[in-house]
Amino acid sequence: MADQIAFRTSSDTVAPGSPRPRTIVVGLGNPVLGDDGVGWRVADEVERRLSDAREAGCEIPAVVVERLGVGGLRLMEFLTGYDEAILVDAAEFPGRPLGEVRACSLDELDSYAAGHLDSAHDASLRNALALGRRLGARLPDRIQTVTVQASRTDEFSEDLSPEIEAAVPAAATAVFELIMSTRDPAGVR
Amino acid sequence: MERITIDPVTRLEGHGKIEIFLDPDGEVANAYFQIPELRGFERFCVGRPVEEMPTLTNRICGVCPEAHHMASAKAADAVYHVDPPRTAKLLRELLYSAFYVTDHTTHFYALGGPDFIVGPDAPPAERNILGVLAKVGMEVGGQVIQARKQGHNVIEMIGGRKIHPATAVPGGMTHGITEEQRAEIERIGRWSIEFAQFSLGIFDKMVLGNDAYKEMILSDGYTHRTYYMGLVDPNNKGNFYDGRVSIMSPDGERVGTYAPAEYRDWIAEHVEPWTYLKFPYLKKVGWKGLVDGADSGVYCATPLSRLNVAEGMATPLAQAAYERFYDTLAPKPESGGKRLVHHRLATHWARLIELLYAAEHMVELATDPEITSPNIRTVPTEKPTEGVGTVEAPRGTLTHHYWTDERGVLTAVNLLVGTTNNYAPMAMSIKKAAQSLIHKGVVVHQGLLNRVEMAFRLYDPCFGCATHSFPGEMPLQVAIRNSDGEVIEVLSQNC
Repeated sequence: MADQIAFRTSSDTVAPGSPRPRTIVVGLGNPVLGDDGVGWRVADEVERRLSDAREAGCEIPAVVVERLGVGGLRLMEFLTGYDEAILVDAAEFPGRPLGEVRACSLDELDSYAAGHLDSAHDASLRNALALGRRLGARLPDRIQTVTVQASRTDEFSEDLSPEIEAAVPAAATAVFELIMSTRDPAGVR
Repeated sequence: MERITIDPVTRLEGHGKIEIFLDPDGEVANAYFQIPELRGFERFCVGRPVEEMPTLTNRICGVCPEAHHMASAKAADAVYHVDPPRTAKLLRELLYSAFYVTDHTTHFYALGGPDFIVGPDAPPAERNILGVLAKVGMEVGGQVIQARKQGHNVIEMIGGRKIHPATAVPGGMTHGITEEQRAEIERIGRWSIEFAQFSLGIFDKMVLGNDAYKEMILSDGYTHRTYYMGLVDPNNKGNFYDGRVSIMSPDGERVGTYAPAEYRDWIAEHVEPWTYLKFPYLKKVGWKGLVDGADSGVYCATPLSRLNVAEGMATPLAQAAYERFYDTLAPKPESGGKRLVHHRLATHWARLIELLYAAEHMVELATDPEITSPNIRTVPTEKPTEGVGTVEAPRGTLTHHYWTDERGVLTAVNLLVGTTNNYAPMAMSIKKAAQSLIHKGVVVHQGLLNRVEMAFRLYDPCFGCATHSFPGEMPLQVAIRNSDGEVIEVLSQNC
C-alpha cells in the first residue's frame, strides 16, 4: 500500500509555467436549486471581474475560482495547496433580510450557518481541516466566507429570487476585496 | 468581530427531525423520522431533451452524482431503445466501481466507524473521523485520503470530471480510456483491494473482537425481519450496475426477480397523514403499517439487503468475506432455505464486503481486453418513447423513469431514490432504539441520541437527494410527545 498521503495540490489546476496561485475562491451550492446556486453565480461574477481587471492592466493576485457542490472532506481536499481560501455560499441566518451579504472568517461562523461547509456523508469542514492538518496537508491559514442570505433553497430552478439576484454584485465586490487584500507587499503573487 | 450563531431549533426545522410519540402508559407508541424533500424536480425536467438528464440529474446532490448519472444514462438508453457496446458498459461499470470504493470507504471511517470504533457511549464530540483515527492510528487517515483521491482520479479519467461525471450518454460513452490510463486504474484497483482487506481487518479486530459490540449487533434492538431488495446478475450474484431486481422474503425465500422496467408492478407507495413522505412497499404483499414480518410489505434496500438477496459475491475475496459474514451471524438457513442476516448493525460489515467486491471488480474490468476498445457508442436511431434505468446506489436501489415525445423531449419524470426505499425500515429502527431507552415516560437521556443516530446512520440515508444542505456532524433533535401530542421533552446534540 502506498505510504505517501497524496493530497491534491494547487498546481493540479494550473497550466504549466503559470504562477502558482495561493488563493482559491470556491462558489458553493447547487446551480439548479434556486437560491442555493448563488455561490456559483457570485463565482461567475468574480471571474468576469478578474478577467476585466487583468485586461485593463491591473495587478491581480493569481487566484483559482472553483464552483462546487460539496462539503466536508471533499471541500477540504479542494482547499489543499492554497494559502488562502474564500468560500461563497447561500446562508439562512434567522431573522436576517433576504440578500444580505456578510463576510467573516470561517472561525467566526457557526458550524451550521452556511449549508455547504459540511456534509452529511463525511465530516464537518472543521474536522476535515483538522484531519488534513494532522496528516500534513498544506491547508489555507486563512479561510474567509462570504454569504448571501437566502430562503428558497428547496425547489429546483435555475433562477435566483430577485433579492438574491440583486445581491450578486455586492457579494462579488466582497470577494474581490478579499482577493485584493491577499496581495503581499512585493506585489503580484 | 461579531460572532454569528444560529438557533439550532430554527436551523433544524424540517431537517431530519425525529418525533417520538408515547402511549398513555408512557411507552413508545411510534417514532417518525422526517426528511424534507426538494420540490419541483419533475417540473424542472419536463420540456428538456432527455439527453440532458445524465448531467442534469447528477446535480440533484453532491453525494452520489455518479449513481444518478448511471441510472439516468441507462434510462436514456431505454428511451432510445439502444443497447450500448460492451466497452461502454465496461467503462460505466468501472467508473461506478471506483465510486463505490470512495463512497463506502468514506462511510466506514467517517460515519459508521464512530459508532463502533469510538463507541456508542462516547461523547458526541469524539464520535467523528478524528475519534476513529485516534483509535486506529492517524496514518490510516492517510490511506483514507489516498483511497478517496485515487477513486476520484478514476472517476475523472472515465467521467471527464472529478465530481459530476459527464461522459455517459444515450447509447454509450463520449470517450474511452488509453492504455496508460487503463494501467493506472488497474494499479489503483489492486491498491484498493489491499485497502479493503485492511479495513475488514480493522472491523474484525475492533468490532467482532469486542464481545460487547458483537452482542449489540446481535441484539433484538437492532434487528428487523423485513423483505430485502437488490440487483442481481444472471447467476444471482450481487451487481451494482445492472441486472434484475431480486426480492427476498424475511423467511429466506426468493419471492421473485423483475426487470427494472416492471418496478411499478412490484412497488407501491403508502401515504401517511402525518408526513409528506411516501413509504414504498411491496405491492404483492401489501401495506400493513410500519411493522416487521412476512405479512408486511416493508422492504429494505441497503448493503445488507444486497447480500441477503444474493447467492454470493461475484469475486473470490469478497465471496470468502461473504461466507464468513453468514457463518458468523447466520449459521443456519431460514425456513425458506437462504441464510439471512436481519441484524441491521451488520450493514456496516456488509458495506466493507461490498468495498472489497468493488475493488476486485475494478481490477477485473480494468484487465478486460476490450476496456480500451474505441467502440464506445451506438448512435441511437430509434424513435424515443419511454425508458427505465436502475442501478444500486450505495444507499439503495435507484430508479429513473422518463417519458418523452417523439423528439426526445421529456413529458414526465419519476425518480425512486435509494434512501426513499428505506423510509419505513428507518422509522422502525428508530422506534426500536427509542423503545429500549424510554419506559413509563422516563427517558434515559444518556445514550438515547447516540443510539437513535446509530439506528438511522446504518442506512446511510442520503439527505442530499432530499435536502440542499445538512450539516456534517449530525445535528439531531428528538421531540418526545405524550399521548395528547404535547411535547414533553426535546433532546438535541451537535446543535
